[in-house]
Amino acid sequence: MKARKTTERLLVLATLAAFVAPASYAQVFATESGRAEFTSSVPLHSFTGTSDRLVGRIDLATDSVDFYLDLETLDTGIGKRDKDMRKTLDTARFPFAEFLGRLETPVNPAAAGAQRVRVRGTFTIHGVSRALVVDGTLTREGTGLRLEAAWELRLDEYDIEPPRLLIVKVDPVQKIAIRALLNPSPR
Amino acid sequence: MPRLLPALVLAVLLVAPASAQVERRRAVTGGPVEELFWAPTVISTASVTNLPRGNANFTILHSFGPVSGGIGQLWGLDGAANIRFGLDYGISDRVSVGIGRSRLDKVLDFRTKVNVLRQTTDGRVPLELAVKGDLGITTEENGFAFGDRISGLVSVLVARRVSDRVSLQVTPMWSHFNAVVPYFVGGERIVPEADHVAIGVAGRYVLSDRLAILAEFVPVVGSRTEGTKDNLALGLDIETGGHVFQLFVATSHWLTEQHAIARNTEDFFAGDFRLGFNVNRVFGVGK
Repeated sequence: MKARKTTERLLVLATLAAFVAPASYAQVFATESGRAEFTSSVPLHSFTGTSDRLVGRIDLATDSVDFYLDLETLDTGIGKRDKDMRKTLDTARFPFAEFLGRLETPVNPAAAGAQRVRVRGTFTIHGVSRALVVDGTLTREGTGLRLEAAWELRLDEYDIEPPRLLIVKVDPVQKIAIRALLNPSPR
Repeated sequence: MPRLLPALVLAVLLVAPASAQVERRRAVTGGPVEELFWAPTVISTASVTNLPRGNANFTILHSFGPVSGGIGQLWGLDGAANIRFGLDYGISDRVSVGIGRSRLDKVLDFRTKVNVLRQTTDGRVPLELAVKGDLGITTEENGFAFGDRISGLVSVLVARRVSDRVSLQVTPMWSHFNAVVPYFVGGERIVPEADHVAIGVAGRYVLSDRLAILAEFVPVVGSRTEGTKDNLALGLDIETGGHVFQLFVATSHWLTEQHAIARNTEDFFAGDFRLGFNVNRVFGVGK
């Protein structure tokens, strides 16, 4: 009877250890102040919108990647243009742009230098979700990881009508870039 | 084995947050209501809309001659009654300063607008309230001393975006001229009042993302210079992305409020109105 109890206790401890152990390596990195940037073009002119409120987390134990941005924090430098952008993106109904995915390439948080990474997941904006593969780099910086990634977004794929400036339409292809220092985070 | 169940549940609970989605939280809540009006002017009077910090607004305000001139004057289009070029700049999201020059009397004017209250999306502040001041200097050579060329306006703008489509504004205004000169009309000697008080009422109805209709009525209350009529204007806002165009019919040809309140002698309902347009071009400075 005593041996059985001991076995049970060991089993419980082993189970707990199996689940909890990865968390103790603190392989979760997160940010609430990453930079997101888009560049729009119209003939003879381009403009950039930026936000320093990118929120996200990378969990190296589960390979999960989760980022979102409150689109109303994007600033193009002209208040009226910001309002037009919010109308175009219908941020009252769809306030967030978000990406949920998984790392396809292994990452060693201890390695020096930039590591090329590929993530595959789902990007959602304007209420439309589409599969997306993004290439970027992760670079060790202090105890954290510096993330840099960029991709192109086609407005029509997300049911976004490119805004007009007089009779000129904004280029339907937007260049997106994100940069963030992700710090170790508890699970 | 049943005794193992709580431990296994505990283990699962410990692990679950690791794969859970990051909680989505709005970065800004209860912020100011946007676009009570698309432009800083309703038609000929100021709107509560102010310029964001670091933004400039170049404006061209233009009113033609009276429509009552008929085909001989191409319903007023042959006569450029008045035109004002102006530039305003947002020092902060609540404070702007501006300068402009009008053709009539060659009035150079300096103005500022301060948004004391911002209507908020969460209803915490139900109204937008701004204070505006305008100092005009008649630069046309008329033999007056500098001090006698000065005019001014102080107004308090109270507005609310009632719904996505409707905005309303009430604007008590005080207009002052440092010097007034008696004049004769039909042999009658008119002594102008130096001060006028008016209560402007204005509204906007949004038709679409690009179009809105505007109305503005500025009745003078209390004593007024004999013959002074109340201003009425109706307009159409056209939002094009980079510009806001305003097409309007209005009683007064004055484009500074102190003049429009005190010096308008034309009556909208007698057919004394004119066509006009405003062009607003907002651009960022430094980005």
